[in-house]
Amino acid sequence: MKCKKLLVGALALSMVLSMAACGSSSGEKDAKDGEKTKLYVVNWKDYGSDDADFIAAFEEEYNCEIVNTYMSSEEELLTKLRTSKEGDIDVCLPNCTILPAAINEGLLEQVDTSKLTNFDSMFERFKTQKECFKDDKMYAVPFVWGSTAIAYNTEVIKEAPKSMSALFDKAYAGKIAFRDDYNDAVMSAAIVLGQDPNNPSDLDAIKAKLIEQKALNKTYWKTGDEFSKLFAGKQIDLGLMWSGQAAAMKKDNQPISFVVPEDGAIGWVDNWAIPSGSQNKDLAYAFIDWMISKDFQYNWASKGGPAPVNQAAAEAIDPEYAASAGMDEASLNRLYFMEYRTDEVKNTWNELWTEVKAE
Amino acid sequence: MKNNKRVMTLPGMAVLFFCAIVPLFIMLAYSFQSDSGTGFTLENYSRFFTKTFYLTLTLRTIVNSLLVTVISLLLSYPLAYIMAKHLKGLKNIVMVLLIIPFFTNQLVRVYSWLIFLQDGGVFERLMNTLGLVDGTMGLLYTRAAVIIGLIHAFFPYMVITIYMALERLDNSLLEASSCLGASKTTTFFRVVLPMSMPGVITGIMIVFVPCLGTFVEPRILGGVNGTVIGTVIEDQFFEIYGWNFGAAIAFILLAMVLVSMAAINRLGRRYEG
Repeated sequence: MKCKKLLVGALALSMVLSMAACGSSSGEKDAKDGEKTKLYVVNWKDYGSDDADFIAAFEEEYNCEIVNTYMSSEEELLTKLRTSKEGDIDVCLPNCTILPAAINEGLLEQVDTSKLTNFDSMFERFKTQKECFKDDKMYAVPFVWGSTAIAYNTEVIKEAPKSMSALFDKAYAGKIAFRDDYNDAVMSAAIVLGQDPNNPSDLDAIKAKLIEQKALNKTYWKTGDEFSKLFAGKQIDLGLMWSGQAAAMKKDNQPISFVVPEDGAIGWVDNWAIPSGSQNKDLAYAFIDWMISKDFQYNWASKGGPAPVNQAAAEAIDPEYAASAGMDEASLNRLYFMEYRTDEVKNTWNELWTEVKAE
Repeated sequence: MKNNKRVMTLPGMAVLFFCAIVPLFIMLAYSFQSDSGTGFTLENYSRFFTKTFYLTLTLRTIVNSLLVTVISLLLSYPLAYIMAKHLKGLKNIVMVLLIIPFFTNQLVRVYSWLIFLQDGGVFERLMNTLGLVDGTMGLLYTRAAVIIGLIHAFFPYMVITIYMALERLDNSLLEASSCLGASKTTTFFRVVLPMSMPGVITGIMIVFVPCLGTFVEPRILGGVNGTVIGTVIEDQFFEIYGWNFGAAIAFILLAMVLVSMAAINRLGRRYEG
């Protein structure tokens, strides 16, 4: 109840603030020659695109000013897009779970890929990312991707697990940390059962499999930090884990390795999009182009960011690091990317997962 | 004069109204709304009562809260009694010790328990050294761990309310009782306990009610078995934006709280006057 109150308050406040900001900027833009054009970007905090060095370089190159606002969830971004006035946002960062809704509601501009010089250097997989399209028209440009698969302790498990069923294997009973997330749970069980993870055919079988799996866990984890503590304390030997977190733990000299098993794992993609009514479309294109450039993507990924969509950037990364972070092309091709889900599907899956946890 | 007093309540009442009553009614409205957004519906409530696992979880939550309340009471009463009647300067130190945990963040407290209770943790090593337990205890990620964490979080409230009731209890009453020939046990059961009942009842309410809504301790300390109804509400709000259903569960819980408070109050009235 409290959170609801806060959210309503925050929403009202952000609307008031964004209107105030917008009112002053559009007035001043025309009035003063010296005033720089402002590019309004909505993104995640500390997510590469708000890096101070990058912002300075971009502002210098295009004689503009980047104004960052942050989102705390994908749903919040969708609400922002629905409630903001034209021109409030120039660029935003939706992932595939909300993209189709935003496109269908006409909240996004169509993307003209000929304006992006770096578009061609993207992996083929991402040039055709299906959530970005409607009626063969593109509305968003993939930016980075990552995976949720298996991380394991290399001191205990000598050979990399070949299948997601390792997470369901009695041999590791009591040494597994599974994730407390309805989406990851349903998708991983579907992979093990040979169903389509994005459109599972037999939810009862998935539920039974997850209930069976429950007994094998040390615990369910929710935040990356929880997993990391369990792992460092040798309480677990393997678990369902994010590629990025596993890479960060490896950099901390943990005996951890990350693998996207042969039968596949879960993937996600973040995309840049231009909301309808953006007043600075050229600048927005320049921004997106910069974001998918080899230099930017290489620098960020090798500093521990998510995996690049730019093939040249991906190839420039140390292959050993890329493989251990699940960033290599072989891993990429094995992923089932998370798709948009209707509220009804989300509800059904979440209820299934609650039932498993209540068991 | 009377008018003046009424004016002075206005700021407080306004805060209560806008920060507690209004949001509550907004949430009530949500709980009667369908996800598809068409008008008044009871589907959120019926969904809760037709799925057995929601009831299972609610029952589990209530049993947990009762356990926490009873154990807290058993721990608190003797402590409060000794503080009120036997400790002089020392009771301030005990009070500070009781209050200090409130200065630390809830998550920090929960994580301390995590480290304390885990396999190979401080508690296990202590038990092994003392020879009370041999090998792994497997205490963390069980229901017992959840109960321990919750007792630690809530029992100080119980101690403080009982202590305050006992502190008010006039010692001359105890002397009178003993002068009239009552033994210590009789004095306790006929004088001390009835007179401290208001404190005990407030304590029970103050521990039982918030216990029903917790989700952090059960989730972190309970592992795979730590799902309670509070977790379900949290999931509805944060994971799938099911505010309507989340609000409905919250109101069902609120109704249960009100009913149990009424019952406890009725119990309390017997000791009044």
